[in-house]
Amino acid sequence: MFKPYQTDLFFDEMLQQSGSTKTHYQAFHNMMNQFSAEELREKHETAQLSFLRQGITFTVYNDNVGTERTMPFDFIPIIVPPDAWEMIEKGMIQRAEALNMFLEDIYKDQAILNDGIIPRELVEQNPNYFHKQVGGAEIPLNNHIFLAGIDLIRDQEGTYRVLEDNLRNPSGMSYVYQNRYVMRQVYPEFFNRHSIHSLEHQLSNMQEALLSHVPKNCSSKKRAVLLTPGMYNSAYYDHVFLAQQMGIELVEGRDLQVRNGVVYMKTIRGMQRVDIIYRRIDDEYLDPDAFNPDSALGVKGLLEAYRKGNVAILNGIGNGVADDKAMYAYVPEMIRYYLKEEPLIPNVDTYFMRNKEEREWALERLDELVVKNVGASGGYDMLIGPHASAEEIAVFKEKIEENPSQYIAQPTIQLSRAPVFQEGDFYPCHVDLRVFVMRGEKTHVLPGGLSRVALKKGSLVVNSSQGGGGKDTWVLKGGDS
Amino acid sequence: MLSRVADSLYWMSRNIERAENNARVLGVQLIQMLEASSEESLTNYDWETVIEVCGSLEEYNHLYEKLTINNIIDYLAFSESNQSSVLNCVKFARENARITRDIIPGDLFEVWNDLFLESTNMYIPEGSLKEVHGFLKRVKLASLTSQGVIESSMSRGVPYRFIKIAKWLERGEKTARILNVLSEKSNDDRERADGTNYYYWRSALQLLNGYDEYLKKYPPRMNEKDVLTFLISDYAFPRSIQYCMDHVREAIIALEGGKVSHYSWRMYAALDRLMAEFDEDKIRSLSVHEFSSFLDDFQDRCNDISQVFSQTYYLIEPAHVP
Repeated sequence: MFKPYQTDLFFDEMLQQSGSTKTHYQAFHNMMNQFSAEELREKHETAQLSFLRQGITFTVYNDNVGTERTMPFDFIPIIVPPDAWEMIEKGMIQRAEALNMFLEDIYKDQAILNDGIIPRELVEQNPNYFHKQVGGAEIPLNNHIFLAGIDLIRDQEGTYRVLEDNLRNPSGMSYVYQNRYVMRQVYPEFFNRHSIHSLEHQLSNMQEALLSHVPKNCSSKKRAVLLTPGMYNSAYYDHVFLAQQMGIELVEGRDLQVRNGVVYMKTIRGMQRVDIIYRRIDDEYLDPDAFNPDSALGVKGLLEAYRKGNVAILNGIGNGVADDKAMYAYVPEMIRYYLKEEPLIPNVDTYFMRNKEEREWALERLDELVVKNVGASGGYDMLIGPHASAEEIAVFKEKIEENPSQYIAQPTIQLSRAPVFQEGDFYPCHVDLRVFVMRGEKTHVLPGGLSRVALKKGSLVVNSSQGGGGKDTWVLKGGDS
Repeated sequence: MLSRVADSLYWMSRNIERAENNARVLGVQLIQMLEASSEESLTNYDWETVIEVCGSLEEYNHLYEKLTINNIIDYLAFSESNQSSVLNCVKFARENARITRDIIPGDLFEVWNDLFLESTNMYIPEGSLKEVHGFLKRVKLASLTSQGVIESSMSRGVPYRFIKIAKWLERGEKTARILNVLSEKSNDDRERADGTNYYYWRSALQLLNGYDEYLKKYPPRMNEKDVLTFLISDYAFPRSIQYCMDHVREAIIALEGGKVSHYSWRMYAALDRLMAEFDEDKIRSLSVHEFSSFLDDFQDRCNDISQVFSQTYYLIEPAHVP
């Protein structure tokens, strides 16, 4: 039923160059071959419908009109063997730890800047560096990163590399759970022959990590809430899911009020004190007093409460300085500087357009490179050289020359691929993996994570807002092959 | 529980109940229309009644030029301009369910999410009564299913009580509204042709899904007093005003753990004022003309209760730090 395709120059998750199946996919492959195309198509429809029925949707805005969409699901999982996972897990813990030390450092002593490891202006002129607002603030556990979503890719050789750190409000964790849930409902047969790491206890780990962020002045109730921008936010389902699973109240800005530096929520029995806020609102909208004065989503006075140690806010305020595309290039240095270790998972090589030499070199060969705006995300304001027209390249050339600090360039990585089954057809698509790291008193890495796949044939963009889909991710237990 | 969330639960529940009630009223009327046949003027009257019960005649006349079946169906079932059109109720119920989905059972969200997705994709050709009936039936079933989900899976805590209070208030008000509109029509009609007004009381029973239950208790010859007593003060019929308000009170007491507090006494007082009216003897002694003003009063008091209720739980006004 499944016909091997040409892997070409790409690393393939499932197939060898020769077209034969890799050992850790063998059992899955055998099972898949027992289904007819018709059966698979039917299952696929059931799975897709199930997302819609449960309202597992994200909202896409076009000309201000929001449409609820489900993320396309593909049933062929990404299977990660135990040794590969062990390395990823360690690498992610290492990276998140170094990034946290970096944040703690630059908002306090700035040792890494004083030692000249990272150019000072790169930090101090970063629009997401909020020293004025949170510099020197004492925060619980000195932890700025409660939840990190780190995006990994694999290159031609199959080496895992970090593509991007998301230290502000990484979303997608609910999809990991729902992908698994739907997979178990619709394709139960596939689980029979595999022993994979379950996701079940991870949400209690997450809840414990959350509650371990006890602010200096905490009420006896130790009440935590999840602050959402509301149901029109594109990640609203994620917020609902996490609040529900952690058993905490899902609040909006208008539900909170700060009085005398203490945060309260408005309940049917009057005001109740709030101690820990897992916020899913961006810094700029968090508190109209401290940031954007027009923000209707935020809570007046929240920052004051935070600085006084009356409330914990997770993830920390001002994390954006550490996860943009310019700072990304320095993360390996951070790891060496703070931890005295070598990075376990390497970066993708990155060239700074702000440096004259690198810029000139890059401008010569834009057709071979990927150019990214350091401030943008979601696949926007990005040039993929090998796929771009001469005009597009010219446009970016101009952009870079006009505003060099805003851009970085990277070699085009031959993103690894995995087979998908869509519309009755098997074909290979590019994939990446978002790994979630949960940090509190203890650190946990969600086994697997969100595998995103660029379902359009030949496309490199995995973002759900641009036609990307999701796959279940299986981490095999040791001793299993 | 957050006041905002309580408010959403309250409106979710009211819209579920309203969707079912309005779907039933429209459904009943569409069938009666077939039976009433020739008497054009009478059917027009009927339709005005139904519009008053489920929306507003003034709004209707503003939106449409003529009183035609297709316009009426559009207004009552699908119009976006009518806040209480069945489709709008479905939309509001689903939207509020979506806001509170971390509180309510997953199945409850799914019932309304399904119906919402289905209804926004449906195409009903104008004049296709069969499809309109199909839609109304889906709505009624969704409401019944969700009541089953609520009863069988929700803990008897604060969210459950809010849902129930909203449901019984909505239902009690609807019964009062139907009786009020019909008693006015009946009064108008009395002056034209004596004896035809029983028609209205039968209609009231049908619109409230009480015809069968009524017949188990009273003789089939419609007596105005019997019908009104049954629909106003019957202690056992789950759409009588008495029954609904008993249950509002019961749910409030449960919500407050049987205690009257400084913040809740006004709510109890408003309820007590309202309940004092429901004396069967008193209702029997009312003349038909007095009914209208009795029902007007009742609707006003219901509004009072909704308001006091909202204030008590800060559903409208922002809360203050104690």
